[in-house]
Amino acid sequence: MEKRVEKFNFISWFRNMWVTHPLFSTFCALVLMIILQTVALGFDQGSFSRWFSIWSRNWINILRNNATIGIISLGMTFVIITGGIDLAVGSTLVAIGAIVMVFIDSSATGLLSAIGITGAPAFIIGIIMGLIAGLILGEFTGILITIGKLPPFIATLGMMKICRSVTQQCMQTVNPQVPRSFTQIANLSIGGQMFMPIIYWLLIAFIMYWISKHTAFGRHVFAVGSNERASRLSGINTERVKRAVYAIMGLLVGCAAVLQVSRIGAMDYANAGSGYEMDAIAAVIVGGTSMAGGRGSISGTILGVLIIAVMNNLLNLIGVPPFLREAFKGFIVIAAVLLQKKEKA
Amino acid sequence: MDLEMKNIFKSFGANLVLDDVSFSLSGGQIKALLGENGAGKSTLMNILGGVLGADGGKILIDGSEVSFSSPKESLDMKIAFIHQELNLINDLPIYENLFIGREIRKKSGFLDHEKMISETRRVFDEMALSLDPEVMVRDLDASYKQIVEISRAMLMDARIVIMDEPTTSLTENEIERVFALMRHLKSMGVGIIFISHKLNEVMEICDSYAVLRDGHMIREGKINETDTRTLASLMVGHEVVEGLRAESHDNGKIIMEAEHLTDSKHFKDISFNIREGEIVGFTGLLGDGRSELFQSIFGASLPYSGSLRIDGNEERIHSTQQAVRLGIGYVPRNRKENGIVKDLDILSNGSLVTLSMRKKGLFLDEAAIESDFANAKEKLSIKMGEDSDPITSLSGGNQQKVVLAKWLSAKPRILILDNPTQGVDVGAKEEIYQIITSLAESGVAIAVLSSESKEIIRVCSRCYVMYHGRILKELRGDELNEKTIMQYATGVVE
Repeated sequence: MEKRVEKFNFISWFRNMWVTHPLFSTFCALVLMIILQTVALGFDQGSFSRWFSIWSRNWINILRNNATIGIISLGMTFVIITGGIDLAVGSTLVAIGAIVMVFIDSSATGLLSAIGITGAPAFIIGIIMGLIAGLILGEFTGILITIGKLPPFIATLGMMKICRSVTQQCMQTVNPQVPRSFTQIANLSIGGQMFMPIIYWLLIAFIMYWISKHTAFGRHVFAVGSNERASRLSGINTERVKRAVYAIMGLLVGCAAVLQVSRIGAMDYANAGSGYEMDAIAAVIVGGTSMAGGRGSISGTILGVLIIAVMNNLLNLIGVPPFLREAFKGFIVIAAVLLQKKEKA
Repeated sequence: MDLEMKNIFKSFGANLVLDDVSFSLSGGQIKALLGENGAGKSTLMNILGGVLGADGGKILIDGSEVSFSSPKESLDMKIAFIHQELNLINDLPIYENLFIGREIRKKSGFLDHEKMISETRRVFDEMALSLDPEVMVRDLDASYKQIVEISRAMLMDARIVIMDEPTTSLTENEIERVFALMRHLKSMGVGIIFISHKLNEVMEICDSYAVLRDGHMIREGKINETDTRTLASLMVGHEVVEGLRAESHDNGKIIMEAEHLTDSKHFKDISFNIREGEIVGFTGLLGDGRSELFQSIFGASLPYSGSLRIDGNEERIHSTQQAVRLGIGYVPRNRKENGIVKDLDILSNGSLVTLSMRKKGLFLDEAAIESDFANAKEKLSIKMGEDSDPITSLSGGNQQKVVLAKWLSAKPRILILDNPTQGVDVGAKEEIYQIITSLAESGVAIAVLSSESKEIIRVCSRCYVMYHGRILKELRGDELNEKTIMQYATGVVE
């Protein structure tokens, strides 16, 4: 057998990747930013191991701080692939957070401590109640959209207003305390590093990836987003797919809420989670998911979350004033979509 | 005005789409441009319409060379391209559609509605049309929409009009209306290029023809020196062999039986039956309610009253997934909107129905899905590249076969085919008929919905003719001919 060895031509390979893979340019942007960020962090530490420990600590911080948005973005990816949108995630996060806190509170005001349940059993019940609350809120949104035939924008805009406002009113007189041990869920230190949020995020990302690629439901999500009519005429229960997508979104917001409460140990009902919906949507869009539905990927979304996170870190390191950072976020979203657009000439 | 396209070359990547193609048209002539899907018709016309640039060759108008790089420049040379998907805005009146992008303004900068309306009237008078310019486009039927598009070309004083399959969605009466207008334009010296798959129409309206096959100009000639059979074989490259129609199955078991089905507005008092292994046609004109009837039966539309029995069991189908469970398959009309999912690849499109049935625990049984599709692919002889190629890379006929493939894997016992050969070229059409026939031979009960009486006669052993939501007549045997069908479809005979 004759084997033709073609000389590997980096430039033509690069050009080909750039044109054929819409996410390749995004990936290049991430690599470039990581290089810049590494440079900004500085090399002049004398010893490699010291430099590496600072570098990795910085990375763990980046990932840990973005785990909440990361988890929400995973659910948002499914929602946007079906052609929908969820503006309510920041508010439902607060509502679910409040519910979890009421259950886990070990002081006299706590719901469970009043009947003598505290510690781990209370935590488990609290977390389960939080996740169920997320599912119910998501399912309700899904019902508004499918049975109520509301546009997702309207339905979730309404939910966004309702959830935060009701939570703020209800929590005016109640002031639940988060027990110190509960904060271990997110802040457990392994070898001096707090990995836990990253592990939760990666675990959920892996599950969502598998669902999107290897289950009938995952493929139905894409089909419904691309052509709902054709999907329905193929015997797919399109309404159930859409309801499930919002329910999953709710469940993931539940996970994010538990993580947030545990990581911070408190919750500011007026401001916590505000802007999360836009951050998540931005990450999903930067990750190459089409707002028109039908196209997108979980891996792209992870790339999107990372790119925004690394950029924030970089801006921080080089001392860009905080007010300007949002502008860079806006710039990234626009640039990413412009770069990905080239497939349609 | 005389047009000549000389030695046109065009390739997309390594794919040579037009190879030394020449084409000419003189004023006052209607010329058919024929060819199978993928023969290069659209590419050639897109070059003439300024949508694409040619790689080589030239375009001459009245003997002098011209070049254009955008539809606007082509239009400036008085060439108008009327695309298959009409470019009209439903929520604007006719005259505003005619002037869109070139609105007439008063000195103040505001729109001069009076002037636009009177200009529109002038054009309509020239074209011998009695249309009110202020009617909303939404309220026009398909033929008048087509006519509005043509008027827009006339308003811009077009001397060459390209019409891409203008009659696909029109009923017989509407086609006659468009043809009358085309004849009128011809008498005004306008040259028309008519792209169509319907050879009978070509024979009726055109003076000359040009046949493209695989990017080559095969033949140009006069219509009165040829016939449909010759044209068809020129397009396909070989004789089109028509298979035999399925035999009638009067003693097969009745699989689907409907009695007095009625919904709120589309159909009334419908009773019919379909037997095992039988192909039954449902025909009529546009708006006869047959599509709505079967959409309801498939659980995709409004509820109805009356009784529907599948295998003798009374069934009430509320959802499409229930219909699938009962063994009903449904290939809808309008493939682009209802049939294919454009963002998914070929394999996913071809396995959409069976995805939820092919599971290994929680996950998809990908091997089973692939082998299902490979079987269907072979059975239907789908011409395609990789499973992971986009569905839109296929020709219309092959896309339709993929839509069929997704149902074949579900092994339906009843198959509803609505306009199964819409936008499919001659060769693939015959292939689809043979597939339908062989499915029936394997015992599937098939309903074919079509307004082409030829198609009904070709594949069905009997047919129901519908008119305004009712079944007027069941035809079988010798009654199954174009004339009789048309008499009932137009409601001439009650």
